[in-house]
Amino acid sequence: MPAFAMRKIVKRFPGIVANRDVDLTIEAGEIHALLGENGAGKSTLMQILYGFHSMDSGSILIDGEPVRITSTKDAIALGIGMVHQEFMLVRRFSVVENTVLGLKENAGPMLDLHQASRRLRRLSDQHHLAIDPHAQVQHLPIGVQQRVEILKLLYRDARLLILDEPTAVLTVHEKDQLFSVLRALRDQGRSIVIVTHKLQEVMELADRVTVMRDGRVVGAVSTRETSEQELARLMVGRDVNLRAHRVPIERGRAVLRIDGLHARDEVGQEKVRGISLDVHAGEIVGIAGVDGNGQSQLAEAIMHLLAANQGRVFLNDQEVTRLTVAQHRALGLSYIPADRRHVGSIPEMSIADNAILGSHRERTRGLFLDKRRIREHAERLIARFGVRAASTGAMAGKLSGGNLQKLILGREMMQDAAAIVVEQPTRGLDVGAVESVWLELLRERERGTAILLISAELEELMNLADRIAVMFEGRIVGILNAASVTVEKLGLMISGIALPNATPDQSA
Amino acid sequence: MKLIERRVTPVDSPFAIACSMAVAVVAAMVVTSLLFVLYGANPLQAYGALFHEPFATWRGFGYTLVRTAPLALIALGTIVSWRSGFGYLGFEGCFVIGAAATSWLALSTAPGAAIGPLPFFAFLLMPLLLSFAAGALWAGVVALMRARFGGNEVLISLMTNYVAILIVQYLVSGPMRAPGGVPETAQLPRATWLPFILHGTRAHAGILLALLATLLVWVSLRKTPLGYELIVSGLNPSAARFGGIDVGGRLVLAAFLAGGLGALAGTVEVLGVQHRLMDGISGGVGFTGIIVALLAKLNPLAVIPAAVLYGGMTVGANAMQRRAGIPSSITFILQSLIVLMVLASDILRRYRVNLAALRPVVKTETR
Repeated sequence: MPAFAMRKIVKRFPGIVANRDVDLTIEAGEIHALLGENGAGKSTLMQILYGFHSMDSGSILIDGEPVRITSTKDAIALGIGMVHQEFMLVRRFSVVENTVLGLKENAGPMLDLHQASRRLRRLSDQHHLAIDPHAQVQHLPIGVQQRVEILKLLYRDARLLILDEPTAVLTVHEKDQLFSVLRALRDQGRSIVIVTHKLQEVMELADRVTVMRDGRVVGAVSTRETSEQELARLMVGRDVNLRAHRVPIERGRAVLRIDGLHARDEVGQEKVRGISLDVHAGEIVGIAGVDGNGQSQLAEAIMHLLAANQGRVFLNDQEVTRLTVAQHRALGLSYIPADRRHVGSIPEMSIADNAILGSHRERTRGLFLDKRRIREHAERLIARFGVRAASTGAMAGKLSGGNLQKLILGREMMQDAAAIVVEQPTRGLDVGAVESVWLELLRERERGTAILLISAELEELMNLADRIAVMFEGRIVGILNAASVTVEKLGLMISGIALPNATPDQSA
Repeated sequence: MKLIERRVTPVDSPFAIACSMAVAVVAAMVVTSLLFVLYGANPLQAYGALFHEPFATWRGFGYTLVRTAPLALIALGTIVSWRSGFGYLGFEGCFVIGAAATSWLALSTAPGAAIGPLPFFAFLLMPLLLSFAAGALWAGVVALMRARFGGNEVLISLMTNYVAILIVQYLVSGPMRAPGGVPETAQLPRATWLPFILHGTRAHAGILLALLATLLVWVSLRKTPLGYELIVSGLNPSAARFGGIDVGGRLVLAAFLAGGLGALAGTVEVLGVQHRLMDGISGGVGFTGIIVALLAKLNPLAVIPAAVLYGGMTVGANAMQRRAGIPSSITFILQSLIVLMVLASDILRRYRVNLAALRPVVKTETR
């Protein structure tokens, strides 16, 4: 008898069916992965289990007994806990304050934090979580905050822990720690569900996996009996190429040269501390690093969206350090920002209007914008980059993440830039969309563009980059030849654990 | 099948928008009817009294147009600044600054004054330019503070209203005061008055200026690269910066245009209606204009109809008080309700009605 079972769950939202007859079975003492692309219905399913949404039909069984879950309170009482992608912690509160927040047993007039903190400390030791109950959450690193969320669930003695995209914000090292915590919890007989779209993690961590597509379960298998390739095919519904094919090409001259760049972020912290790097024509140089080590500021400083304190940037031997963004674009330096919806596009405007951002001054006839040519340009872009959209007049904000990214990629690539700075191009995208973004970047490389690729996904860098520069605390701690590096080594380097015995820069 | 069904995305066809606005106006009128009933009046007669004079009499229609012109100009200024991401509320100030600049210029052309009498058409452009420039600077300072030092433009602009009003108070009770008991300037020379355009009414050429401004604002926001930059800056400043747009510069420019338009409203009022500068000349039109912009949903083309409706109701309010004995202040309630309902009416576009659900269910058995 399974510990937790969802039977024939149906959930409709206006216009779409999010879950159609979904079955999910979770045993005690197993780590179960719920795999699927964005919009496949996996989050909806978990929110039904956690009492956020009501289901239209179906049933939930715990130890074979049907249960009614109409609110998160019910779910918690039944031993179900969830860690959301965005942590639900009050940053100014301590760990213990966060833990007792909203708990019944503290309904009395006075809080008994001492007893709670004693119990937390015991739980933390027992599960090797290494959490000080009195630490303020805002001072804790992301990985520890996540462990606080898990500790909260253990404090409520949850039998089923649901983790939504748990590794999205973690370093490699933190991810390893999380996985060992989860394995230990499994070994105590608890059930764990991780909601994810990352195949490697499923294979690495999970015992069984349920794959969803378009609101349906398309497969439920043991990870021992499957492969990444098969899971990808189930998830996307067609064969997916997980290995990008990089044609060896002779790289050209140094197009983008960065020389001793220093920059501070908005609050005045020095985030870029003397970066020097050349990117050649027909070359992809990857910047590896955990988020927050200055990669975004590096990109912004190159584009002069952030003023550099020191150092210079050259494009084709011309200094461009202090030119405006508009001038950069005119000279052929493009930028694809990480934040697609807030920086890369204007969601409230049409696809056509988004397609001309940055080149809008050239798209005129006389004094006025040439609407016909703008529409034709957008139609060309949609066709060439395979953006799935109703029309060029549709709002950009209605596009899926992958299609929006293709629109942004297309916009920048159709400028025939000499150099492109690309930041986290596939963050949050489905496998299918990742594949096409990768293909476009490689095609651009073959066209002879110099590409600086900033990514937190090591797989992506290994697949696309010719050379990988590892960034740690604002400095480049090593430049590696992508052909001769392993994920493990990169992983250690970006966490600042292993400093390279410098695989020498091949560009010499 | 449910009778009323929620749509995934709201319909945004012009027809649907027009329908939802019409429903909003009717709903506001229905609610206000209850107030009329409280005063023992027949709502239909009250509405008759309210709308008859401003829209069905020639003279009253002239007054409606007189009210429309400054409202429309200020609404246009609101649209330009708000759509560019500049939450300007200082139109009351721009209005009186424009009125003061215009009056000063007009008085200088009085017989025997600095410039001397000018033919009207030689004179016409001068107050428009001067007033526009004065209003532009007045609002531009606020934009500079926001762009340069990150000041909150909503608060600062609100405060500048009082400064401007006090400046005008000083002018009309000091340097520009005409001999006599009331703090106001002398009457402006007749040659500087805006011509009346409808025979037998007070409607003056200011309405033409408002129409021209509507066209210009619409074309420049919707059809030019500059308008594109303004709107992108307003919707998403980070994306604008990333797209090579000088967001701070655009902000200041938007403030210039908005302030200029607000000042033109003052010019129109002085040269078309009051023919002199006095304390309290704005009478809150700097705020009512903002409400008109909201009523027009920040769409320049909807400004004129919205301003006509709003201005007309203001004119009709007095007639209603005279003829039906209902306090004219109910009109303000009606006006406010209309704005509230129109702003809320977006929700209507999120639903559809399934008339099919009304039909009795016929059980069709195949086989």
